[in-house]
Amino acid sequence: MSSIAAAATTATTLEERNAIRDAVRDLMAARSSEAAVRATMDSAEGYDPEVWAALVEMGIPGLLVAAEFGGAGFGPLEVELVMEETGAALLCSPLVSSGVLAAALLARSGDLEACERLLPGIAAGSTIATVALTGEAGTWTPAGVDVIAGVAGGGPFLDGVASYVTHGQIATALLVVARTPDGIGIFEVVPGAAGLTIAPLPTFDRTLRLARLEFSRTPAHRIGAAGWPAVESALRVALVALGGEQVGGARRIFEMTLEYAKVRVQFGRAIGGFQAIKHMAADLLLEVESATSAARDAAQQLAEGSKTAGEAVSLAAFVCADAFSNVAATAIQMHGGIAFTWEHPAHLYLRRARALAQLFGTPQFYRERFLRHLAPDDKWP
Amino acid sequence: MSDAGLRAEVRNWLEVQWPGRLRVSATMWEATPLSRAWMTKVRDARWAVPRWPHEWFGRAYSDEQASIVEQEFDRAGAPGAGQDRNNLPANTALRFGSDALKKAFVPGLLTGEITMCLLYSEPGAGSDLAGVRTRAQRDGDEFVIDGQKVWVSGAATATFGMLVARTNWDVPKHLGLSFFFFPMKQPGVDVRPLRQVTDEAHFNEVFLTGARVPAANLIGELNDGWRVLQTALAYERSYMGDVARGPRHGERAIDLVALAREFGRLDDPSMRQDLARVVALRRLNVLNSARAKASLEQGTSSPIMSLGKLAMSRILHEEARVRTAILGAAGLLTGDEYPISDDTNFLALNAYFTSIGGGTDQIQRNIIGERVLGLPKEPEADRDVPFNKVRGG
Repeated sequence: MSSIAAAATTATTLEERNAIRDAVRDLMAARSSEAAVRATMDSAEGYDPEVWAALVEMGIPGLLVAAEFGGAGFGPLEVELVMEETGAALLCSPLVSSGVLAAALLARSGDLEACERLLPGIAAGSTIATVALTGEAGTWTPAGVDVIAGVAGGGPFLDGVASYVTHGQIATALLVVARTPDGIGIFEVVPGAAGLTIAPLPTFDRTLRLARLEFSRTPAHRIGAAGWPAVESALRVALVALGGEQVGGARRIFEMTLEYAKVRVQFGRAIGGFQAIKHMAADLLLEVESATSAARDAAQQLAEGSKTAGEAVSLAAFVCADAFSNVAATAIQMHGGIAFTWEHPAHLYLRRARALAQLFGTPQFYRERFLRHLAPDDKWP
Repeated sequence: MSDAGLRAEVRNWLEVQWPGRLRVSATMWEATPLSRAWMTKVRDARWAVPRWPHEWFGRAYSDEQASIVEQEFDRAGAPGAGQDRNNLPANTALRFGSDALKKAFVPGLLTGEITMCLLYSEPGAGSDLAGVRTRAQRDGDEFVIDGQKVWVSGAATATFGMLVARTNWDVPKHLGLSFFFFPMKQPGVDVRPLRQVTDEAHFNEVFLTGARVPAANLIGELNDGWRVLQTALAYERSYMGDVARGPRHGERAIDLVALAREFGRLDDPSMRQDLARVVALRRLNVLNSARAKASLEQGTSSPIMSLGKLAMSRILHEEARVRTAILGAAGLLTGDEYPISDDTNFLALNAYFTSIGGGTDQIQRNIIGERVLGLPKEPEADRDVPFNKVRGG
């Protein structure tokens, strides 16, 4: 790993982390209410520039960016904690695309010039960056990369398709993972470049923005010499962020369901008094707490550079995805008819849960990955 | 004293005192005279119950200080520390006993000189433990006990039993119970082993006929036994989330991935998904416990504490299910010549020890729902009815 990435972690104390969490929680309560989320998810941009500015003021998009590039220089621990709060509020923002995935990939690219040029803007929120790294297969693996890099007289160019690019339609900086004759490489493409078509994709989770990018002899700029290991390393940080978001979302929809079970009366009793509901709630509590433990452990191990960090991230990836999906789905059932309406927020959580369970790799994929960590020397199917 | 200073003190003490080769059963039900000599040393050095007050072998330590003591004992492999967390009868005595009772029981409970079984469940009072029908009738300075208890571990060797019996039949069920330290070695106590579903006999039935307990052995107030029992059960349940029996035939079969490899199932993608799911459950339990412990040390309580037993029950049933799938037809066999088959079948049945014992999963979910999540209590048909008018069966 490059010296840039190695220098990029400043330790925070528990008190400092609690202060960051409280500040984000307050901001979410003030600016990412259900009404705000509904308004933003139907907007063209898919995020609220004023809320984005408030996040910038708190240094959130630059959490992972090293201090020398204008960021806070924190690590996975702080990102996970912040994402628990943004996830709880269903914040609509390019935070993971730009401040996590793109920032982490740049830091690991070994390209000082690119870092100096792009990271300060990412930290300041004036640049919204994203990473295009999978084709129509949507696997987020080397095999899924469908963009091919070539070189002509004027320099490198790209051909092919990248899909499921988060916030690709609003990004002002595009990092593209492409095949080269010497393996996977990382490239930068200007959004208005010749031969680049950016088409928004209709998303089931309306709080998310996805785009399909088609490259046709599109001029590109190679970022560093780093290949797939840098992408993989950045994906791990993104998965920890997603884990936090999933845990925060799961906990919030669970709490909302619990409150409803205490006030909704049928047969002359609050429905939470019926074992059918009470037992579901007890099981969901275990699921929420277990996912929280998994996400925080993965963040901790990644921050410490532990040898088993990859295993911990894989575990968190499928545990948090499954927990959010199950909690959000069960929450609708526990509410009954009221949560079958568009007006009730439960479906917003289920939509988000179903989206996050696919982004950057499925739970099935990470279960398989987890097992490979446990039995690394066995032949894989 | 600083934490580092405390750690050094415990470590030095153990270096001088600990012979390093004694085996003491974790339950203390099978304590030997040799182990008692060691436990006495630990007790008198005030390492057995450091959270307790000075008056009772303690040091009034915080959780954080006490866990340093436990860590050092664990490191040395020395038993006897942590009894302020896991010695169920001693904690019950300290919390509810009179001074005279504490004087009589606490010293012996901490060394294993006094061992206790649990005389709670009855054939007619399982999940509904407040419905016990064992009778305690006052007779001068004593109570006379008549009834039948079931699911009693260690009944044959225990010197005393924690007994829940009915002392008032004219009030609703929770209000007429009393809690005793009941002497087991007397006529009128008949212990019969109970053959379990696993074909083992770790439990007994205990028949009590005209047996006697001194009135001085009452724990808590007369007719206030339900409150004592609730506290004792909470201790027991928090402990059950941490411990569960492994296979009968040694450590080898514990690793599910190794077992799948041995049976040539590691190349089956659906088996791999299942394995990852189940290995994850145990991993999550470890992470949950660590997180609960950390919040305890920071002085905040965590709902995870009450989830341990429910989590462990799911782990044991799920592991047994995957183990059964890995074995396939080999699961048809049993006996010492087929240890892996035997373990698998044993674990599948013994999982119920955790999902039923100490309160069924369903009762646990009620408790979590009501006490942790604040959901309304179950309605009870017999709640306000005098017990002698309540239907049994």
